[in-house]
Amino acid sequence: MIRLGRKKNMMSLIIKPLCIVLLLAGQFSLIWLKSNVLTLEYKIGLLEKMKTEHIKERRLLLADKAGLQSLEKLEASSMENDGFVFPDRVRVIHIKRQRGPLPHKASLEKRQLAGPELW
Amino acid sequence: MNTIIIFSFFALFLRLTDLMILNHKLLSEKAKQQHIKVEDIQVRRGIIFDREGRQLALNLELESLYCEPENFHLDNENIRKLSFALSKEPEVILTKIPEEGKFVWIERKLEPDIAERIKDLNIKGLGFMNEAKRVYPKGKLASHIVGSVGVDNQALEGIELQFDRYLKTRGGKVFSERDAGGRTLSSGVNKEAKGNNIVLTIDEGLQGIVEKEIEKAMVKWRAAAASAIMMDPFTGEILALANMPSYDPNNTGKAKDFEKRNRAITDCYEPGSTFKIAVGIGALEENIATPHSLFDVSKGAIEVGRKTIHDVHRHGVLTFKEVIQKSSNVGAIMIGMKLGKERIYKYAKLLGVGEKTGVDLPGEVSGWIHPPERWSGTSIGAISIGQEVAVTPLQILRAYSAIANGGFLVRPHVVSEIISPEGQTLFSSIDNERKRILSSKTAEIFREILKSVVEGGTGEKASIEGDEVAGKTGTAQMIDPKTKRYSREKFVSSFIGFVPADKPRFALIVVVYEPKGQIYGGVVASPVFRDIANQALSYLNIPRRDVPYETTLLVAK
Repeated sequence: MIRLGRKKNMMSLIIKPLCIVLLLAGQFSLIWLKSNVLTLEYKIGLLEKMKTEHIKERRLLLADKAGLQSLEKLEASSMENDGFVFPDRVRVIHIKRQRGPLPHKASLEKRQLAGPELW
Repeated sequence: MNTIIIFSFFALFLRLTDLMILNHKLLSEKAKQQHIKVEDIQVRRGIIFDREGRQLALNLELESLYCEPENFHLDNENIRKLSFALSKEPEVILTKIPEEGKFVWIERKLEPDIAERIKDLNIKGLGFMNEAKRVYPKGKLASHIVGSVGVDNQALEGIELQFDRYLKTRGGKVFSERDAGGRTLSSGVNKEAKGNNIVLTIDEGLQGIVEKEIEKAMVKWRAAAASAIMMDPFTGEILALANMPSYDPNNTGKAKDFEKRNRAITDCYEPGSTFKIAVGIGALEENIATPHSLFDVSKGAIEVGRKTIHDVHRHGVLTFKEVIQKSSNVGAIMIGMKLGKERIYKYAKLLGVGEKTGVDLPGEVSGWIHPPERWSGTSIGAISIGQEVAVTPLQILRAYSAIANGGFLVRPHVVSEIISPEGQTLFSSIDNERKRILSSKTAEIFREILKSVVEGGTGEKASIEGDEVAGKTGTAQMIDPKTKRYSREKFVSSFIGFVPADKPRFALIVVVYEPKGQIYGGVVASPVFRDIANQALSYLNIPRRDVPYETTLLVAK
């Protein structure tokens, strides 16, 4: 009987603190997770703010670029300053470079010799 | 001790009951106000592109300055600093700031450098808010097509107005949390909503060429206005549409009404000799005449009703072809009389006179031609030479495009595609609307006649080296609004044509209103056509037809 009582005391000595520790650990881990999530939300919020600023700047730059690339301005400045003129309307024939020897085709059809294509 | 503990717990319980039950609703609302931030979803209009993907209208994020009058210290020093930064008189700024109130705009959509200057002043009671500003980076280019918006991005003109429901989108609200320090936690929701993008048929390069040349013509002839339209005669795609005077849509508030008029579709004029196409094709279709039929116009004048109509130059006996080539009024009236008023009206209506073209721009007018039962004794003569009828430049260009494309009436349009922000094509203009209005044989014969107008007729100044041009000149008197009669000083000079004549890449009309010094279409408008066509053909890399082979360029790719 005394042995049983001792066993009981030992179990309660281990289990009770263990439960309390588990409870506390569980609570702290919940708090830790929640705070991590909050930290992430803060970071994402900051990043979103940065993204908004970057998009704003990008749009400003795109608008500037579109303005600078205005054909009207380019034409006026290139013609006045650099003497550019509209090109003569000569006929232009484009020749494609041959890529290399083509694979041999075994066929009963008439073999077509590879050559430069004209377009 | 126990009593104290019990009492403390009881007090705690009462307080909790008060907070959680009795004042729950009030306190939770207050908490929401404090830690929930409501923001509007920023709405951005879709971008407008030309046919090559160059941006004609886009959005910028700019900061607008507001004032909280309750927190703003209205002293001379602050007003002086602000007026210097904004480059405005202090009195102007003072009128915007009331003595009481929570919020008032000082200046909307400031340039970034001005906003920074004001921020550096650190004046209490002033704040900034981000707003979208519609910007047109090409300035005045294609202003009558693209249109403009107001300060709140409400559509006012052009494509911005016509396609407003596609360009704009619905906003909404985003709810996000913030902490006690005011920092916002991410809501995970996109705070920007974009409208659909629009791709036009306009080419920036061609538009620039057309605008430059009609502006030069306006200055040279001290004209009141000028318009020009370049169109693909096979598809109806408008490649360029320009009016002078013009305006900058970035400063739409400063533009005058007459500068914003899209005369190419909103203003009618009497087409004059360019309308001889109606009697010409009618006569050919009805087999009343052939290109070699003879007309004796040696008298130089013809009586119609009680009116005598003269030729500008005296001719002898002309063929049908020469009547058009030399633009003989007497010859055209003879043809018209042979055709009869019913058939003249029929062919005029077939060419689209008196009806809107259906172009996708706001404000188009239909022009007019009276039905035969309302014609007077002189109408058959007047209408044969393009008087007593009103057309817009676009209508008459469409009519001539029917000659260029072999006999079809096309639907002119400026919008090529509408694309969603995700890249999905919502609309694409495939021209199913082609109505055959004349036989290909008539179109071919008339094309040859129009070629002769430029080769040896009134349109010689429209000819270009290396390609054949087909076209017609027009000179018409304007009605004096005071006397309601034809003016002796005010004329409309025009030239319509297409090039290369046999395989046209574009049809082009040039209209110059009230030129001074010269009035004839062949002198005023034809050279403008030539200059535009030369540059446009070079820009489009269309080689000359008459190229001798030693000037051929061989390019390896």
